[in-house]
Amino acid sequence: MTSGSNRPEPALGERLRELEAPETPGSTERMDQMFSKVKTECDQSDRSLSGFLRSRSTATRRMLVLSVFATLALVGWFAFPLVGDQARTIQWAVSLVSFCVLILLAMFMVTRPVHLPALPRWQSLCLVCIALGATVVAALWPHPAAQAATHEHVGNVMAGACMGVGLLLGVPVYALLRLVDRGNAFGSLVAAAAAGVAGNFVLKAHCAVPGTSHELLGHASVAVLFVVGLGLVHRFVGAK
Amino acid sequence: MDAYVDGDETAFRLLFERYAPILLRLTRRHLRDDELAEEIVQQTFFRLHGARNDFRRGSKLRPWVMTIAMNLVREHWRRTKRRKMTSLEVETQAAPEADFMPLELRQRSELLHVALDKLPTSQREVVELHWFQERPYAEVAQIVGTSEGAVRVRAHRAYSTLKQLLVLEIRGDE
Repeated sequence: MTSGSNRPEPALGERLRELEAPETPGSTERMDQMFSKVKTECDQSDRSLSGFLRSRSTATRRMLVLSVFATLALVGWFAFPLVGDQARTIQWAVSLVSFCVLILLAMFMVTRPVHLPALPRWQSLCLVCIALGATVVAALWPHPAAQAATHEHVGNVMAGACMGVGLLLGVPVYALLRLVDRGNAFGSLVAAAAAGVAGNFVLKAHCAVPGTSHELLGHASVAVLFVVGLGLVHRFVGAK
Repeated sequence: MDAYVDGDETAFRLLFERYAPILLRLTRRHLRDDELAEEIVQQTFFRLHGARNDFRRGSKLRPWVMTIAMNLVREHWRRTKRRKMTSLEVETQAAPEADFMPLELRQRSELLHVALDKLPTSQREVVELHWFQERPYAEVAQIVGTSEGAVRVRAHRAYSTLKQLLVLEIRGDE
């Protein structure tokens, strides 16, 4: 027995020892069967894209995700027009930075190595709630008067288009995070939240349509739809 | 493990032969379900295979596999919420080793299982790793992801609670 002062008393120790069961008969054959099953699963996994990506080292997986995110962000930033000068306020910049931080945190959570103790559930749930909250707060933030005067009439009409674009942009983010996830608890939910935030990041950076209702319906809803749709569905379907 | 990381296929088999029985005993005691325990052990090796490139050469493999297995066990409890049902199940579900035990020993074993089930998961993990797996506190701390001091406190509380739960029986033995 190991050294240490916090050991059970001898009588309790005797009782605990009774649970140290002997090997069950036929265990060698069973072990062989178990090994063949594991080996088959491993071989199948090695042949798939997700298996290949998941078996990369954690540093490699993180670098890969960061590179893809950075490439997408740079292409999007320079290829498509940003919001007008009057809309580039401090709040706008704070929203974008917050979204970036949330995406990074989600990426670190999803790519957490499985040989480390799993993160407590509340941390993942907290991140998801903060991500949803951040998109709503960003939508509720008042727009500069100069910007609010433009596009006022088309806000709600364009909400559907923004939602579609946001969802479309979030899908590759979700897919990438799921591909490198080795099976962390709440991984699908965190990836869904990250996808929603990524969609919001792009919309916040490029969408020139002002209005709280537009942003709530067209932007913040993207994160909610991802979390409720992909996250929960995948979680419950995956559990079965 | 180093050979396995380098691509030696037979090394995986050797690792399985060495660690699977240890993990099986650990998961059986936790889950009290042979099939489930085997599934968790298989999943542990499957995840080990996926995470092999994270292994630092020269470091110990045992804490690695045990952490993966404990994560899977915790995940299982979280998904099924079965711990709450254990006290109800205990009358109908036999312990894995029950078939090979005399009746009196089986009853004693079940009582002990019930007592262990009453411990919070965090304390039970520590008892499992420290007492049954004979791991030092430092390693237990590494596996469950907390400080050595916290592990010692959990162990002390767990053994005190077990003693209280089994006090009549232990007194009877003495």
